[in-house]
Amino acid sequence: MKKKIQVTLNGKKTELEVPSHRLLLDLLRDEIGLTGTKEGCGTGDCGACTVLLNGKPVNSCLIFSGELDGADIVTIEGLKIGPEMHPVQRAFVQDGGVQCGYCTSGMLMMSKALLDENPDPSEDDIRFAISGNLCRCTGYAKIVKAVQDAARELRNRRS
Amino acid sequence: MDNLTVVGKPVTRIDADEKVTGEAVYGYDLVLPNMVYGKVLFSPKAHAKIKRINTDKARQYPGVVAVVTGKDAPWIHGESIRDKPFLAQDKVRYIGEPVAAVAAVDEDTAEAAVRLIEVEYEDLPAYTSPEDAARMDAVAIHENFASYRKMPFITPGAGPNVCEHFKLRTGDVEQGFREADVVLEERYSVPIIQHAAMEPHSAHAQVDPTTGRVTIWVANDAPFRALHEITEALDVPKEQVRFINPLQGGGFGSKGGLKVEPVAVALAYKTNGRPVRVKFNREETFISTLTRHGAIVHVKSGVKKNGAITAREMTIYWNGGAYAEKSPTVCIRGSLPAPGPYRIPNVKVDGYAVYTNVPVAGSFRGYGIPQGAWAVEQHTDELARRLGMDPLAFRMQNVFADGDTAYWGEELHSVGLKETLQKAADAIEWGKKIDSMPGSRVKGLKIGKGLACIQKPTRSPTTSSAGVIVNAKGEASVLAGTVEIGQGCNTILCQIAAEELKMPFDKVRSASLDTDVIPYDASTTSSRSTYHMGNAVKGAAIDAREKLAVLAAPMLEAKKEELAFADGKIFLKHQPEMALTVGEVVRRKFGPEGTVRGDASYTYELAKDLDLETGHSDNASAFYMYATQAAVIAVDEETGRARLLRMAAAHDVGKAINPLNCAAQIEGGLAMGIGSALHEHLVIDQNGKVRNPSFLDYHLVTALDLPEMIPIIVECPEPQGPYGAKGLGEPGLAPTPAAIGNAVADAIGARVYDLPLSPERIFWVIQEKKKGKAA
Ligand code: FES
Ligand code: FES
Repeated sequence: MKKKIQVTLNGKKTELEVPSHRLLLDLLRDEIGLTGTKEGCGTGDCGACTVLLNGKPVNSCLIFSGELDGADIVTIEGLKIGPEMHPVQRAFVQDGGVQCGYCTSGMLMMSKALLDENPDPSEDDIRFAISGNLCRCTGYAKIVKAVQDAARELRNRRS
Repeated sequence: MDNLTVVGKPVTRIDADEKVTGEAVYGYDLVLPNMVYGKVLFSPKAHAKIKRINTDKARQYPGVVAVVTGKDAPWIHGESIRDKPFLAQDKVRYIGEPVAAVAAVDEDTAEAAVRLIEVEYEDLPAYTSPEDAARMDAVAIHENFASYRKMPFITPGAGPNVCEHFKLRTGDVEQGFREADVVLEERYSVPIIQHAAMEPHSAHAQVDPTTGRVTIWVANDAPFRALHEITEALDVPKEQVRFINPLQGGGFGSKGGLKVEPVAVALAYKTNGRPVRVKFNREETFISTLTRHGAIVHVKSGVKKNGAITAREMTIYWNGGAYAEKSPTVCIRGSLPAPGPYRIPNVKVDGYAVYTNVPVAGSFRGYGIPQGAWAVEQHTDELARRLGMDPLAFRMQNVFADGDTAYWGEELHSVGLKETLQKAADAIEWGKKIDSMPGSRVKGLKIGKGLACIQKPTRSPTTSSAGVIVNAKGEASVLAGTVEIGQGCNTILCQIAAEELKMPFDKVRSASLDTDVIPYDASTTSSRSTYHMGNAVKGAAIDAREKLAVLAAPMLEAKKEELAFADGKIFLKHQPEMALTVGEVVRRKFGPEGTVRGDASYTYELAKDLDLETGHSDNASAFYMYATQAAVIAVDEETGRARLLRMAAAHDVGKAINPLNCAAQIEGGLAMGIGSALHEHLVIDQNGKVRNPSFLDYHLVTALDLPEMIPIIVECPEPQGPYGAKGLGEPGLAPTPAAIGNAVADAIGARVYDLPLSPERIFWVIQEKKKGKAA
């Protein structure tokens, strides 16, 4: 059964007609064509599909489209600030926080959510925040450093 | 002396931008026009005859485009032994084997239709343990094994399920044991684990209805090898198949060979030219792709009181799963150096690669080294303990050094092993009792230190070819068949091209991988790329540079020999203001759309095959990698829980082309090694069923599970390598479990012989020890 919903997707008002049971992950990837959000498990266990829903990080593979009317959704494609990369994106590039890159979208969205809430996270805060985001390549060390560097950069900008 | 401008520098990855913005398109993301969606019916039986398949209902289901079974796809493939059908033929050999497949207009329809296929099975006895399956009286899993086509180096064993029996024979071990003061015999085991690359497996295929040409889009780590394997199976010329590589979301060995590809191709032959997409979800990836060989390792050694090792005898059973895939070569390449990087006069190794009824084992980062190291490196500590020697000193006394002849008959050079031992040991303050580490003062916690070292060969001989194209804008692209699986090869190869062309790094990029246009490469495996493809790209860039010099000489009214290159320019050595940009030279000669291309191939030609009876070769590998890792651990004696406090990893890379990337590889390997030490185990019950095919139940390390990690780069240059480079990707996880195992043994005063080092396992070892003391 299809349902009409209105969402704000990466800052743009968007009207969609989707089957209520369609998962947000599939809606983004298959129907809208935003494949930056990744599928690693489809069962809520890896965090590769993390997006921001009304400002909060969620596993998009666990969200039904039917619940989304009026929602504000930000995906990796909406993380840039205008043409500029978000500091957390730049830090991932600079610090070597990216290898295969498959976990990266989810990591970045989770990191952004953390930094929105906590501008000065400790290493433990960062590790805790991304503990639901699996990365098989990096061993997380450079990711943690990138989030620390992004936090510093964001604080500098604010002051 | 070193006037390198790009090589050796920690430049950032060339593919990072597209990955942090979500623009990168991976195999799993790929959408092709007019494509149909494939779904697979997997065997629910570990070993059974197929009595009957009925696909009528599936065929009639609305929206279904094609249904295929083994009858429609009568092809058999296999790299070293041709034993694996595209879809099960007459029988199934593991739970998860593809039996039939459906292509339909959408995924839901394909899923619904696949459930309508009826299969009747007749059960056969199933084996999950390689020791059981290796017995002479075991039931054959492959009845027609004798008639399978095999590579010439395959030496099957005596039992019906032993697809390879590797033998190493050096000296006389019995004599060696007689000379020894201490003889120790132990048994270790390593469970099956999985690569668990974050991107699950998928493949897209299309068959051109007019020409019959097959195109396969797949994130395969060895597209040229896959092309060979599939054309051999289909019995068509190489030109009839094309592989296109989208980006790969991690591999670690899992994405070589043919897994989803055969199903996609079988379907594509029946869809009238429409492309087919077959995606495995995570559970399907767990049960139906590839795993790492579980292994049972018996090791017996003799040592003298003065610390000399007189003999070592090993028997290793490699659990190959239902089809051979890489088992013969993992068995050979893993068993050969299994006795460890030590001077031992008398060595005997028997390695058995055994068919069983579990998912197929394939190549996995480390290619057989971690299994041997888990046993031998702990065994080494046990020997040291019995001799009353310090484990580091015992190793220093016995490890290979330059000029030593290894027990397979090869004289070794560029051996950075001792330096890795020393640096890893120093990084954890070896020999110093610890009471200041965090957590160590908590009551009931026992602190221990341990280390382990390895030597790893690379696949030899192999060939890499490359092209470098320079355009009139002064940009270069590198044409290389090395697959970017996350390890950073594209960045490394562009650094090498930029270095030789003397062009700015940001003007050099990688071409995408398509077997129609990219020169041949053997595979992205075995840590061979930096060395082999690095040499090929270096040669191709030099070739392009030579051609540019020939073109520039008349333009600058000079002789070719008088020219120099720097910063994207060609100029007169003695008159640097007389200069042209590289792009300008190309443009003047060939116009604004012109290009100049250089090419080169690299083969390590000195390699010699191992003797089939003795395992000997005086040149078994293009180069060897050496590494030592050291661990500090805290064990809670009440619960058996082990918490790593620090890990140091010292790796001899020859020359770090990119130190940032080297550190990243070491950390990533270490994390994987830690996971395999403490958590990972693909649990397969006695019926052959995987019990934990999800990330909820298969524990990958998270950001919270890891200790402080100290990557240490050691550079002992390899003369044949580009700028002295060796390889690095694989060793990162190889010594890790043994180093941790030795640290656990140091902490609790008793040894754990089986992986993973779960709290339960450690707990029971502690209880046993207490019982032993009480008795
Ligand atoms: S894909 Fe959603 S958590 Fe893994
Ligand atoms: S970079 Fe590959 S999974 Fe994280």
